[in-house]
Amino acid sequence: MFVTMATRAVCQNVQRRFASTAAALRPSPAEVRSQRNAVFSREQARQRALYPRIEKIEVSMQGPGLEGTLLIMNKGMSTPLSCARHLTEHHVNNSALALVDGQLWPLHQPLTHSCTLTLLTFKDKDPTLVNQAYWRSCVALLGQVLETAFKDDYIVELLSTPEVPVTSGAFCCDVVLDPQLDSWTPSEESLRSLTRGAQLLIHQNLAWEPLEVVPSVALEVFSHSRCKQEEVEQKASESPKGTVMLYRCGDHVLLSGGPLVARTGLCSQYEVTALHNLGQGSWGLHRRAQGLSLPLQLQAHHTVWRKLRQRAEKLVDIPKHEEVAPLPAPDSTQPPAASA
Amino acid sequence: MRLTLQMLISHGRVARRMGLNPQSRINMLRNILTGLVRHERIETTLGRADEVRFYAEKLVDYAKKGDTDEKAMKMANFWLTEKDLIPKLFKVLAPRFENQSKGYTRMVRIPNRENLDRAKMSVLEYKGNPFPPLYPARKENELTLINQLLKGYREERAQQLAAKQ
Repeated sequence: MFVTMATRAVCQNVQRRFASTAAALRPSPAEVRSQRNAVFSREQARQRALYPRIEKIEVSMQGPGLEGTLLIMNKGMSTPLSCARHLTEHHVNNSALALVDGQLWPLHQPLTHSCTLTLLTFKDKDPTLVNQAYWRSCVALLGQVLETAFKDDYIVELLSTPEVPVTSGAFCCDVVLDPQLDSWTPSEESLRSLTRGAQLLIHQNLAWEPLEVVPSVALEVFSHSRCKQEEVEQKASESPKGTVMLYRCGDHVLLSGGPLVARTGLCSQYEVTALHNLGQGSWGLHRRAQGLSLPLQLQAHHTVWRKLRQRAEKLVDIPKHEEVAPLPAPDSTQPPAASA
Repeated sequence: MRLTLQMLISHGRVARRMGLNPQSRINMLRNILTGLVRHERIETTLGRADEVRFYAEKLVDYAKKGDTDEKAMKMANFWLTEKDLIPKLFKVLAPRFENQSKGYTRMVRIPNRENLDRAKMSVLEYKGNPFPPLYPARKENELTLINQLLKGYREERAQQLAAKQ
């Protein structure tokens, strides 16, 4: 840890003196990605090794047609998805999230104790939580696309994104591009190429692997990005357990404010609709990428899609107090309730 | 009576003829109606189902008069060949349709018979039976993702229109 801190200090000094050689000293995005990946894999392996002996837990399923189903699963190894695999293909393909003892649980996270399990889909009676998780996952996908879309000499920093409700019409992802790109205005073509990048990821049907880590590991993962480290510290102080959730999709490691849906293949219609300029911020020129997406189970007719798309191009307004301290959407409803 | 070309060609014979003779037709319909009262949902050819439907409705009309009525009991005794169904008719079906004056049955066309003669087939049932519905119930859910998006869209449009005026 100290070594990396020291090297960064040196780098910054050098950067100040020889701006021309700074690009050569700065780690390339590919290196950053592989380093994040390596730390993630190491931590994942360490957490899996915590359960050397196979122990059995009892999972009782809840849901329509599943009353009284009891599954005997492996502790620390079986995930809600493996429970779904014991049921039907419909459960495997359509579940987006799980509810373990009433708590949201990512589908790929191993179960650690005997519990009751509910599989959530997009067509449930009350899919509000799943919708929020889907919107969050679309933001994660958009961030991944933005990080890989540019050439290796440009640095892309993803900022912590305030959560917007689904009714606002578009999900948005705040980003700071390289200073060299400040004058760049995205054309229709470039938005389309971003959409294409997202659709390639969707086609690969990658899983979002969750991993709950202590802040020090998360800081090591994001050791190249100062703004991510601040976000880690903030998230860790907010969460009751003092841990943060990391997700990996393909070779991209990201920090998330809440659970994401199971895999990218759940998205079907996906489009990046706009890239707005938000003006100068603390990290450089802030931009807000916006997009619109619908899951495979709920597809829209092209006329409806066009209308929704036109709406998604407008800049999503986020109330000021959320921009200063981004809170998850459910929290934003609490202050009025508390004052009332 | 419908005036169609087909009826012109039929030379006045407009009734559907089935069975060997009128007596055989009555016996066949009695058997089908008994099956309908027992199982509450049956599958038969379209013509037979259509013929039985009238008698099935009429039988419930008689049953509503109560089991003390002489005519009603006579009708039930005639149309139900299996006598253990007579109490069911008066105790189950008649109370079920107390508030209705007609339309006790439902007939739905199903795919043609494949194994024998490709006859038109249909399903005949008494309404209010315990089986799963023939038509799937339409599910309207305001909270799904696409409906939420559309709700936001509609609200914005309404605001825009209000601002214009």
